[in-house]
Amino acid sequence: MSDVASEVVVKLSNVWKIFGDRADEAMAAVKAKGLTKPEVLEEFACVVGVQDATFEVARGEIFCIMGLSGSGKSTLVRHVNRLIEPTSGAIEILGRDVGSMSTTALRQVRAQQIGMVFQHMALMPHRSVRDNVAYPLEIRGIPKSKRWAVSDHALDLVDLVGYEDRLPKELSGGMQQRVGIARALASDPEILLMDEPFSALDPLIRMQLQDQFKALVAQLQKTTLFITHDLDEAIRIGHRIAIMKDGVIVQIGTPEQIVMNPADDYVREFVQGISKLKLVKAHSIMEPLESFSGDLNGAPRADEGADLDQLIDLSVGTDVPVVITDKGVDVGVVSKPVLLRGIQGGKE
Amino acid sequence: MSDITVTAASDIEVDREALDASINEFAEKNGDYYSEAFHKIHESTSMLPQTFNVAAALLGPIWAAMRGVWGMFWAFLILEMIAWVQIGRGAWGNPGASFTERAEGQEQRAQGFLEKAETARQAGEDPARFEKLADNMTRAAEKSRATAEAAGAEAFSIMLMGLGLLIVFKLIQGLYANGAYEKQYSRWRIDPARTESGVKQRNMVLGIVLVLLIAPLTIYKFTVASPFEILNAFPEKAVSSAFLSDPNETLYTTLSKWMETRIDNAAVAGAGAFDSIVFGVRSVLDALTVALIGTPWPVVIAVICVVAWRAAGPRVAIFTAAALAYIALLGYWEVSMETVALVGAAVILCVVMGIPLGIWFGKSERAYRIAEPVLDLMQTLPAFVYLIPIIAFFGTGNPPGILATIIFGMPPVIRLTALGMKGVPESIKEAAVAFGASRWQLLRDVEIPLALPSIMTGVNQTILMCLSMVVIISLIGGGGLGKEILEALQYAAKGPGLLGGFAILFCAMIMDRVAQGAFRREDQK
Repeated sequence: MSDVASEVVVKLSNVWKIFGDRADEAMAAVKAKGLTKPEVLEEFACVVGVQDATFEVARGEIFCIMGLSGSGKSTLVRHVNRLIEPTSGAIEILGRDVGSMSTTALRQVRAQQIGMVFQHMALMPHRSVRDNVAYPLEIRGIPKSKRWAVSDHALDLVDLVGYEDRLPKELSGGMQQRVGIARALASDPEILLMDEPFSALDPLIRMQLQDQFKALVAQLQKTTLFITHDLDEAIRIGHRIAIMKDGVIVQIGTPEQIVMNPADDYVREFVQGISKLKLVKAHSIMEPLESFSGDLNGAPRADEGADLDQLIDLSVGTDVPVVITDKGVDVGVVSKPVLLRGIQGGKE
Repeated sequence: MSDITVTAASDIEVDREALDASINEFAEKNGDYYSEAFHKIHESTSMLPQTFNVAAALLGPIWAAMRGVWGMFWAFLILEMIAWVQIGRGAWGNPGASFTERAEGQEQRAQGFLEKAETARQAGEDPARFEKLADNMTRAAEKSRATAEAAGAEAFSIMLMGLGLLIVFKLIQGLYANGAYEKQYSRWRIDPARTESGVKQRNMVLGIVLVLLIAPLTIYKFTVASPFEILNAFPEKAVSSAFLSDPNETLYTTLSKWMETRIDNAAVAGAGAFDSIVFGVRSVLDALTVALIGTPWPVVIAVICVVAWRAAGPRVAIFTAAALAYIALLGYWEVSMETVALVGAAVILCVVMGIPLGIWFGKSERAYRIAEPVLDLMQTLPAFVYLIPIIAFFGTGNPPGILATIIFGMPPVIRLTALGMKGVPESIKEAAVAFGASRWQLLRDVEIPLALPSIMTGVNQTILMCLSMVVIISLIGGGGLGKEILEALQYAAKGPGLLGGFAILFCAMIMDRVAQGAFRREDQK
């Protein structure tokens, strides 16, 4: 385990999902003739849900899948624990092929290695909060004493101590979703699947939960697939983002890559309204040192990893550009015009 | 962004051109008339009709058929027929005919009595008795004649009434035709493929044929005093003889004989199976009977009252104690307990079989589609109908009575269990599966607990349905309070009947209140 960061936990290769009675025929035709989505719909009355999805998620990474409703993101993520069977393609979890698992093995993987959080919480209304959180352990036949201890610990992680014996309906929406997260964490899974967990919550609670969740995952080192229709949320939470449109993954990249270099007009349109202050780092807008001819002594200095927000703070109090350093060596400058353009999003 | 001109709502003009084109397309013929009429309807703010459609008033149902307004066609075909029958009765019928006929018969009989009186007088006997009879008969005949005349005089007023009705119906059609047609137009705008529009030759022919088929025969039958025999009753014997060689047999007798032998054969062939079913039912019943009647009565009363208290609270417990006192004081204790045992056995069997079936039907859409007509049949078939085969297969007595009760009582618990299963949110089921639940775990931990309120409602319904059968099953030898009621009915014994009826009512109320109270507590958990 020398190279923890690059160990692949979830791997999807060429996953297709076609819905309809004649899905297999349609799949064969797609492979042979390369039909497009409307052609498949017309010829076979089948809907292409996911089209040729390939990506890898490394241990501890939060991988966001962003798309509008109907773009196939929920369908895609349900392939990971085989709630949906792929029409074609392979899914691997920790090097094991999910598609070839027996029912028992699959149930075991679902219970031990994957935790899932749902948009509408999906808590059992007749069980107490504690029993809801303990349910994945109950399925595995773990004795009650252990179950309760573990679920109390999980509730502690999401800051819900004192609510163990309440029924879900007595809790607010945000608290219910924290119960959902605790349930997903209870069996200490390798992988978290988050299906638009915060979409149904109001904005303030959503922000709080996003921060809480990000901190939690960083601490617990869970590999996370996070679905959202909100690019702000994806940027806030994700290490990498996959943008889906009509079942196709249009672009995969870090938030900064996506914001600075949108792959096509669709992504560009999304990115337009995004605030770049925390996203864009100094190194992507800086100009060579030579471009500034004046005296740089006494100019404020910032690391190349500093974001626009920090640069603004430095730049406000001075007339000279901010000098960008890499490991203590001056590598570039950011003048005020460059900074302002950077905030706008790289308009030339 | 394109430029959008915003206009205040009060300044918006009605675009008649587009609307007119659409109405013209819908109406095909006379489009201008209908666009004018629809505009009036659209512009009116009152509920009163604004237009009068002369064609609809004159042609009546045929206009409706032509325009494809079938609801109006049938309604006014029937209404106009009523008017025409009255007109026909007044114009051509003879409303006094039956009275005239009777008067003639009475006069003949009076004549007969007079002749008898004459012979009696000639024989030297007292003719007074016959004379009096003749006198009476003559008076009756006179009365009949008077009635006949009055009826004859009524003929004119019947005709007038018929005419009046016809005119009223025509007016109504004229007034409401455009309104109905406008509604059809609105529907057509939503679903042009499946809404009739324009004037279709096919519709007009169909309307005329229907009118010709229905109206003349019906009016003829009602107006003429002695119409063709064939119109009075279906010629069932003639049809039968066309099929069957034996002139004494009809379709009915042959079919019923055939079914009888089938049932007899099946009863003999399956005797072993039927006996074991009866044995199974009897053992459940016996266990309950021993518990309710074998146990000393104070214990039973105490247990029932405590159960009522724990399940449904003190008020129901007090009511239960009072009801049990009524039953015990009037000497109904043992028969009541027999009834409770009967109903209890039926309910237990219903629940034991019904809940698994309901779960299955809730999960499998196909199974439910197949089962639904059977469930409908079980609930709608009159109990008397299946009592007969039950006697053939299972004999008489309490166990067959329980079986009949089960047939009637089981559908609610099946239906409501299936409904409850279907109502379990997909998201919660998906969550359980995502955490690795097996099908059995899913059923036990998610589906049944979430469907429980619905299942409990079903059980309660089943209890009430089973109780409603206690009198009926006494017809095939079922005991208990039902038997008391049946006996009271046979002797028209009002007192015993009412007292026994109240005893059944109290049994039902105790069971219902206790069950409901228990289920309500379950819900609140």
